[in-house]
Amino acid sequence: MASDEFSREALQHLDALYNFAMYLTRNPPEADDLVQETYLRAFRFSHRFQPGTHLRAWLFQILRNTFLTFYRLRERESALAEDGVPTWDVPMFHDAPEESSGAVEAHTDLERALQRLPEAFRTVLLLAEVEGMALEDVARVLACPVGTVKSRIFRAKERLRGLLRDYAKQ
Amino acid sequence: MSGDHSPDSDEALGTRLRAELPRYTASAHLRAAIAEGAAPPRRRAAWLAPVLTAAATALVLGLVFLPLLPRLVPADPTERLVRSVVAEHTRALMWGARHPEVIPTALPWLTQESGIGLRQVFVGDDRLVFVGAEPVYLEGHRGMALHYRDGDGHLLTYIVLPIPGLPVPDRQRVQIERGTSRWRPALMHDSGFSAWVWRQGELACFLVSDMVSEADVERFKDYFVRVRVSTDPVPAN
Repeated sequence: MASDEFSREALQHLDALYNFAMYLTRNPPEADDLVQETYLRAFRFSHRFQPGTHLRAWLFQILRNTFLTFYRLRERESALAEDGVPTWDVPMFHDAPEESSGAVEAHTDLERALQRLPEAFRTVLLLAEVEGMALEDVARVLACPVGTVKSRIFRAKERLRGLLRDYAKQ
Repeated sequence: MSGDHSPDSDEALGTRLRAELPRYTASAHLRAAIAEGAAPPRRRAAWLAPVLTAAATALVLGLVFLPLLPRLVPADPTERLVRSVVAEHTRALMWGARHPEVIPTALPWLTQESGIGLRQVFVGDDRLVFVGAEPVYLEGHRGMALHYRDGDGHLLTYIVLPIPGLPVPDRQRVQIERGTSRWRPALMHDSGFSAWVWRQGELACFLVSDMVSEADVERFKDYFVRVRVSTDPVPAN
């Protein structure tokens, strides 16, 4: 694939990547940085991309890996359940002043509930349900088997339903 | 599950996620910045080898005259700005301190001249003394410069420019933590000076000094925190 063709095609996914970055970071400047870094890496390693495979999934994979690297989630999440998902309900990263000053607030119960999900659960829902990505592509982004993706979607929805019920009672 | 249409079903939840979650779109600044970075790399051509040979010869000759050549302007916009900011700092080192402004009286004039308002400003403390403030014009942007001096005589220049979305190079970012607060400005260098570069809302901020050694950088971090937590610049319009 020619480099300018690659760039043109990659830029078509900018809004989807930005939307995903916003739900991961909840902070516009950090989402900007994350997306910018994602494209820098994609352009730098464009020769590694195999034409004919799914560019969209590849870009989402880079973005998520970059996010995880930035926040050193792997070090923090030492206690993982059997399918690689942390078992607690805390946000994935703490808000620093720089973040909180520009942080985007959740306006609906659904947004609040989604925000409270662990990153791995939030990500499967965003990719599979919001972005409408095929399960095989979601598995590629998360670097896990399709069966794990299905299980995570199921558990993510269970937890989301529980949170929505809690909000409804309040 | 696919046949279940109750409000609690997987399908209904999926529909809610698609329909109710707001979608965020990338800003024009971000789009432009990424498109700029997408410029295709140059391909090696057949004529490259002889050209390189000629260039190597020219380079050897050029090195002889290097001290006489004008300085090259960096292509990266952030590096270019850092160079201008450092030039402004050196100008202040030579001339600025001789004409200090007292900030409470200078503020309205400064806001009018620079297009930058200060909701809160660092006016010095036991470590840093406020020296002066003045409007600046760097790389086509009006902005504001505040100068401080520490007990050892190091001059610090804090510059704010209205440049939304200025790319802050990730590789040069340094994590600075103070209590529960955390920042990730980039530490850049030019002409023997150090500069912290960060974004604050729609503004690009710089803090320059001649503190470059390892021990000095630790102190420079402390000065960054002092200025960062107490200064809140905003576009005046």
